[in-house]
Amino acid sequence: MAGPKTTASSVSSSSSANALQTLWKAYNDTTSPRLKLVDTFLVFLMLSGVVQFVYCILVTNFPFNAFLAGFGSCVGQFVLTASLRTQVNPTNRSEFKDVSPERAFAEFALGSIVLHFFVYNFLG
Amino acid sequence: MAVAYSLPSDVSPATVTNTRSLLRIIALALISGAAIASRLFAVINFESIIHEFDPWFNYRATRVLASEGFYEFWNWFDPTAWYPLGRVVGGTIYPGLMATSGVIYNVLHALHLPVDIRNICVLLAPGFSALTAWSTYMFTKEMKDESAGLLAAAFIGIVPGYISRSVAGSYDNEAIAIFLLMFTFFCWIKALKTGSALFGTLAALFYFYMVAAWGGYAFITNMIPLHSLALILMGRYSSRLYVAYSSWYAIGTLASMQVPFVGFQPVRTSEHMAALGVFGLLQIVAFAELVRTHVSSKQFQSLLYASVIGMGILGAGAIIGLTYKGWIAPWTGRFYSLWDTGYAKIHIPIIASVSEHQPTAWPSFFMDLHSLVFLFPAGVVMCFRQLRDEHVFVIIYAVVASYFAGVMVRLMLTLTPVVCVAAAIAFSSLLDTYIEPTEPDVADDSSGKIAETAPAVDAASSGSSTAVSASSSTAKKTKKAPTAPPSVSAVAAAMTPSKKGEKPRGIFGLDTRFIVLLNAVGMLLFFVLHCTWVTSTAYSSPSVVLASQNPDGSQHIIDDFREAYYWLRQNTPENSVVMSWWDYGYQIAGMADRATLVDNNTWNNTHIATVGKAMSSSEEVAYPILRKHDVDYVLIIFGGLLGYSGDDINKFLWMVRIAQGVWPDEIQEPNYFTPKGEYKVDDMASPTMKNSLMYKMSYYRFPELFGTSQAIDRVRGQQIPKAGTTLDYLDEAFTSENWIVRIYQVKKEDILGRDLKSANAFAQGKKRKRTKPPVRRKATV
Amino acid sequence: MLLLAVLAACLLPLCLASSDSDYAKLKQLAAAGNGLIKLDEHSYNILTAPNRNWSATVQFTALDNKRRCTPCRDFDPSFNTVAKAWSTVPAPERDSHFFGTLDFDNGMATFQKLGIQSAPIVRIFPATDGPRRPASGVTTPISYDLTYGYEPGPLAEQLSKYTPVPIPYKAPFDWGRVGTFAAAALVLVTTLRFISPVLRSRWTWAIGTVLTCLVMTSGHMFVRIRGMPMSGPNGQWIAPGFQNQFGQEVQVVAMMYGLLALAFFMLTTVIPYQTSPQRQRVQVYLWSFVIFIMFSVLVSCFRVKNRGYPFRLFL
Repeated sequence: MAGPKTTASSVSSSSSANALQTLWKAYNDTTSPRLKLVDTFLVFLMLSGVVQFVYCILVTNFPFNAFLAGFGSCVGQFVLTASLRTQVNPTNRSEFKDVSPERAFAEFALGSIVLHFFVYNFLG
Repeated sequence: MAVAYSLPSDVSPATVTNTRSLLRIIALALISGAAIASRLFAVINFESIIHEFDPWFNYRATRVLASEGFYEFWNWFDPTAWYPLGRVVGGTIYPGLMATSGVIYNVLHALHLPVDIRNICVLLAPGFSALTAWSTYMFTKEMKDESAGLLAAAFIGIVPGYISRSVAGSYDNEAIAIFLLMFTFFCWIKALKTGSALFGTLAALFYFYMVAAWGGYAFITNMIPLHSLALILMGRYSSRLYVAYSSWYAIGTLASMQVPFVGFQPVRTSEHMAALGVFGLLQIVAFAELVRTHVSSKQFQSLLYASVIGMGILGAGAIIGLTYKGWIAPWTGRFYSLWDTGYAKIHIPIIASVSEHQPTAWPSFFMDLHSLVFLFPAGVVMCFRQLRDEHVFVIIYAVVASYFAGVMVRLMLTLTPVVCVAAAIAFSSLLDTYIEPTEPDVADDSSGKIAETAPAVDAASSGSSTAVSASSSTAKKTKKAPTAPPSVSAVAAAMTPSKKGEKPRGIFGLDTRFIVLLNAVGMLLFFVLHCTWVTSTAYSSPSVVLASQNPDGSQHIIDDFREAYYWLRQNTPENSVVMSWWDYGYQIAGMADRATLVDNNTWNNTHIATVGKAMSSSEEVAYPILRKHDVDYVLIIFGGLLGYSGDDINKFLWMVRIAQGVWPDEIQEPNYFTPKGEYKVDDMASPTMKNSLMYKMSYYRFPELFGTSQAIDRVRGQQIPKAGTTLDYLDEAFTSENWIVRIYQVKKEDILGRDLKSANAFAQGKKRKRTKPPVRRKATV
Repeated sequence: MLLLAVLAACLLPLCLASSDSDYAKLKQLAAAGNGLIKLDEHSYNILTAPNRNWSATVQFTALDNKRRCTPCRDFDPSFNTVAKAWSTVPAPERDSHFFGTLDFDNGMATFQKLGIQSAPIVRIFPATDGPRRPASGVTTPISYDLTYGYEPGPLAEQLSKYTPVPIPYKAPFDWGRVGTFAAAALVLVTTLRFISPVLRSRWTWAIGTVLTCLVMTSGHMFVRIRGMPMSGPNGQWIAPGFQNQFGQEVQVVAMMYGLLALAFFMLTTVIPYQTSPQRQRVQVYLWSFVIFIMFSVLVSCFRVKNRGYPFRLFL
């Protein structure tokens, strides 16, 4: 998820720095605090995934299943949280007619439980 | 408003709804009953027995699971298979099937229903076919409506293409896999339509079950990404797609790695890379969409698109690079041979040798699908008319599966569900149009006149009228095809009916309705007759037990296989090793309980080639091979007496070919042909052929059976030389009633240290008459 | 030192050879023919002399037009290419394996003696003497399996098992194919503006999809993989047997399926738009009749393939 942001900024420095500022501003203005909380969690998960990946590449991938379980739990939790974020985002209301915010959270919880069941089983 | 025939008008809408759901439930129950019943021909005509080859292994493994529990089964090392290598069963199978029967067995026993494990195994496939019918109903309901769903369920319940792999006793992975396939697809469509992570998770769970049950799970692994990619390319990306795909992939992939046989493949092999690639692409696209909602600067947006495309290309390049570096395994031979159709024949003859891996001729399609085969394209066109997201899925599935089914006979199984779904869509559209009682107005001038849709009273067509009207705006959509990815609202707007003038008007008169419906019902009846006939004659043979007709028309059972296997079980030491061609490995292990050299789990090509070499070499060459592998008995299948064409002489060329692949300078295929290039077993047969162990074992003492008249091989229709063959290193141990199974005992080394040939000559010379075991039974010719 | 050893190794057989003059002659013939010896009765006997310390690959063929051997002419270039590739290896190895071709018109007696009745055939004659005699001691000629195809690639690969060093055959870079591909891509890109409405139209895709489905379910892949001919000898177009079919059957069956599908499509989606009752009635009857007749024809075709099929319709 960090990809486009970094490449975009590296392509053209001056104009995109400006654009990034407007983006940041627009984000701060339009996003509700609750969504910001979710976003913080997303950033944390992403950083945690990156750290594991770097460790795997630089040090060792020895218990490969453990690495996959850890990395998978980060990625899985990330996409589930991102799904939750899109589902509860008021701008997407028209798209998710069948999914109320409450139901979205229940689905998020269920998905996470299933995910972490497999993660736990895979840690070995 | 004119009607062709009147409907009762004094029924309340609530009654109609209730009656409809009741009728649906009854119809589904009847369909399930029909699906199960039509699969029981095998049990009625023969008996409750496990069929064919692979099911015998599954049955044997299930017995271990049921008697010794799951942990024992998981760690089961089978020393009798692939003698002397053995096989770690837990790590080399898809355990879903056995686990399913194990659970059913334990549940039934917990309820104090002492059902035999064999009966559970025999009846598992019919039971799951009922579930398949139900899941096809659910799937088709998402495509069109309930009535199409019921038709699809009825089609898949009795269509021979699916029955062929799921009759009672056909206890194989496919038995449960088709249900899982359809249900996973249903969950996926549902998740995509509602954008619910719940259905995504469910899809992942059933995907996990599928991975545990059948190697064909790779079909799902590639179908869903393909569908998503097509949607993105069509500019139909939506947050629902993101939710559905991400939740399915993240959970499903992690879950699939729990199956020991699959292991790390989902992150290591090319078959799974499409799913990973689309997952990455979706993350990038989703992020870009998110940024787009916050910033409206034109320049920034174009920058964003450039970076999305750049990232996509970079990711694809990375995957290709990793494949070259060897981090990601390239496609396996089995998978690759689907694309490069000549590949298998040259490089992996063992795959090409399997009869169900042959390409499919059109009569097979017609036999397996009957009238559905031409309703299927019509249904695909109907999908194009509406072209909602889920219809794209059916279209892709149709193209991919019809290609695969053309390349390999066994993949007809994956084509069958989509044929049933598409045909049901076409057929129910036809019925909707012609059952609908409203007649259009005769006036043909005004285009603004609207043919009113039926009131809710009309039970049969209320669902369809909306569907048909939704489809009428095809031209509009294409004109609007936008350059920027359209938001979902635009797609939704294009889908809603807009041009009322284009509405179909309807059908005039009662006779037109009558003729079309008569035609349609007649076709359905013919379909049912065809399916019943095909099932009862072609697909219900256990192949372990054969049937023939006596002159008076009564059935005659040929039970040579079991006769021979039980002979092995009762007359040979328990630790003896039996060599046979790999086709019979599982049956020998399952029925005779003896160790085998090779079996149907064809993982070790060299070992199979060793057996092929022994069979195709002369006795002198073969004997050391047999002794080195501790072979005590050699079992062959010979159909020459009875005309059983699936025998070893007909498979012999494959043994030669596979052996040639490993020992090209010792075994050469052309040597087994006559100088004219024909494959013959009579006088003209080449010397190499006549000296081969297989030939000798097959025709040993065969001419004696015919007395003074000429011996004729009934499969190949050729005369066998009267001189007959001699065997020095083997002894005939057993020949079954109709000579289908012949078992030979391998002689031990001579006690005096002579080679067996001279020892034999010596013994013969002394006694003049060789003592032979009397023919156990006279064959019934 | 190594060089000396190699030299010694290849000189040694020379001393043992039946007659050095024969060997020299073969070398000379091979050099003259670009690595390939055009054999006749005499040189064939030299090449396959019973005590040879060289090995040889011989192609038996019939290239003359009056022999009407199309496969021979198809295969001959591949064999020549491989022989030519062999002539580029270093001399010591090169001269211990020869490529020869014997035409039927130059060696009828040999053909008769060997009982060869079909061509082309490739046989490999291992060395019977000297250091390259096979370890297994089997020196009978080995036939090359032509089921690998007539392409030079697999031929070189298979023959390399019998040569002292692998044949250095490399498939020529297919400029023509790449060029066509690039040109097609270029045309596509330049005309994208004009054809994009066509590409964007769902009906283009619909036609493609339906054609694919029709062709695949009519056994096209069977014909392609098995290399079945368009029609059988004496003009029959239905191949006998259930698991068999000719190329023409694909077309006929696909057309029947297509017509039936079209009839259903017309009945369901086009006829309801018809405004005049009379015209609509005629069309309904017409298409119903088409369905009935075509289905009968289809079933009767199936009866030809599957003799035991008990059902029949109108026909």
